[in-house]
Amino acid sequence: MSIISTRDLTKIYVLGKNREVVGLNRANLEVNEGEIFGILGPNGSGKTTCLKLLLGILFPTSGEAEILGRPPYDTEMKKQVGFLPENPYYYDYLNGPELLTFYGNLFNIDHGLLARRIDHLLELVELNDARRLALRHYSKGMLERIGLAASLVNDPRILILDEPTTGLDPIGCRDTRNLLLKLKGQGKTILLSSHFLSEVERVCDRIAIFHRGNLLATGTLAELNARYQADNLEDLFVKTISVFDNPETGQPGAAQ
Amino acid sequence: MKKIWSIGLNTFKESFRKKMMYILLVFALIVIGASKFFGFLTAEEELKMIKDVSFSTIEFFGALMAIFGSLYAISTEIERKTIYTLLTKPISRSDFVLGKFFGMAMILLVNFILISLFFIGLLIFKHSPPDIDVLKTLVLIFVELIMISSITLSLGTFSSDAFNVICSFFLYIVGHLTSYGRELVERTENVILKGLGDMLYTILPNYENFNIRDKVVVGVSVNWAYVGNTVLYGVLYIAIALFIALYFFERREI
Repeated sequence: MSIISTRDLTKIYVLGKNREVVGLNRANLEVNEGEIFGILGPNGSGKTTCLKLLLGILFPTSGEAEILGRPPYDTEMKKQVGFLPENPYYYDYLNGPELLTFYGNLFNIDHGLLARRIDHLLELVELNDARRLALRHYSKGMLERIGLAASLVNDPRILILDEPTTGLDPIGCRDTRNLLLKLKGQGKTILLSSHFLSEVERVCDRIAIFHRGNLLATGTLAELNARYQADNLEDLFVKTISVFDNPETGQPGAAQ
Repeated sequence: MKKIWSIGLNTFKESFRKKMMYILLVFALIVIGASKFFGFLTAEEELKMIKDVSFSTIEFFGALMAIFGSLYAISTEIERKTIYTLLTKPISRSDFVLGKFFGMAMILLVNFILISLFFIGLLIFKHSPPDIDVLKTLVLIFVELIMISSITLSLGTFSSDAFNVICSFFLYIVGHLTSYGRELVERTENVILKGLGDMLYTILPNYENFNIRDKVVVGVSVNWAYVGNTVLYGVLYIAIALFIALYFFERREI
């Protein structure tokens, strides 16, 4: 069952007089409940634009986006969504528990439950020893981990993660990957964007490849590999983008 | 309401960790403290001087806090991208703007109380406990500060920091000169100029309405009706400024 969907979702950035950039071009995306769905693409391909449109941070030029059948600005829907932005920035004068308490209060979570959940989340992301440390003293990896904890503070049904492993060391990446699989096991739906093909290959049930604001292909890795005659995700990624950039070469798999 | 309170409290905490607020507070206390060193004046003149300097200091430094605090309240969230996380939580954009406003109001209130207590302590030290007119003056100054804050916050929802700070200071100065401006306009016989002057007088904030200190310092009492009407004017202006802020922020792309 589709839990996140976009219909002809388009975003055109107006950068000044007579200058427009297509951030996202008529994207149709369906994410099913309980799956890990990966959005892939080079820099500026429209991944983050798509996520921001889904979350109501940006307004679409045309088309529609829905999460749980509700529009992006719906506060009831947001109660069931957790979000980790790319290179997360937080209030650097707060410490970890203060940050999580602040976000938890925005969900009207009962104080006792929130305190227990914060303890559990700090344990989960291994920041229990840094409870008193202000966020301004956090490393990039620690910020990523507290961001992940913040995205889980409401025990969301849907988790949207923008480049969740940026800044993490190999062990941090592995832990995040294991955590995502564990969360999937708990029935959560995860939509993540990433540059790291190996991460996506290991955890995602289905993927979408974006390039220059266009959604080029969607499906399981096996389906797409077969369609594009690719050996692995890296090969698939390069072929998909090449076909879009050089349509005259006649490679298989025109935009689906 | 809990969400607005949470955002407000966070804004309050953030501001109190900024050195600028402390510097303004300390400067204000120094200026008020210095006003008692006019030993060459008679006791009555010295008291007038303390009141005059203190009221002016509370108003001026409060205005600086209101403008600079409100200026960065929203723009910092956008620049540091903390707003991305915040707006994906179950809060509306209105909750965000109102939270920022109440946070600023809390900051101004705490600073205002600290400076006012110092001023009142100085009056008691000089064997002249504050009368009701001193309190009326302080109430009007506080409403004026909230009004300045709401205008700067409102401008910040659709303009750059540079434009906002120039506009806020321009309005602060003009808002204290509107009465003089009106007198000038009333003398002119040009109908267009007169109409334009009346329109500006109505639209622009009239901060001079809140200035009763010149009277109170020389012992002239101000009636409650005037205080009530001026507070009402301030509350209406704040409501309109917030409505404009909400209108623009609902439509703003981040």
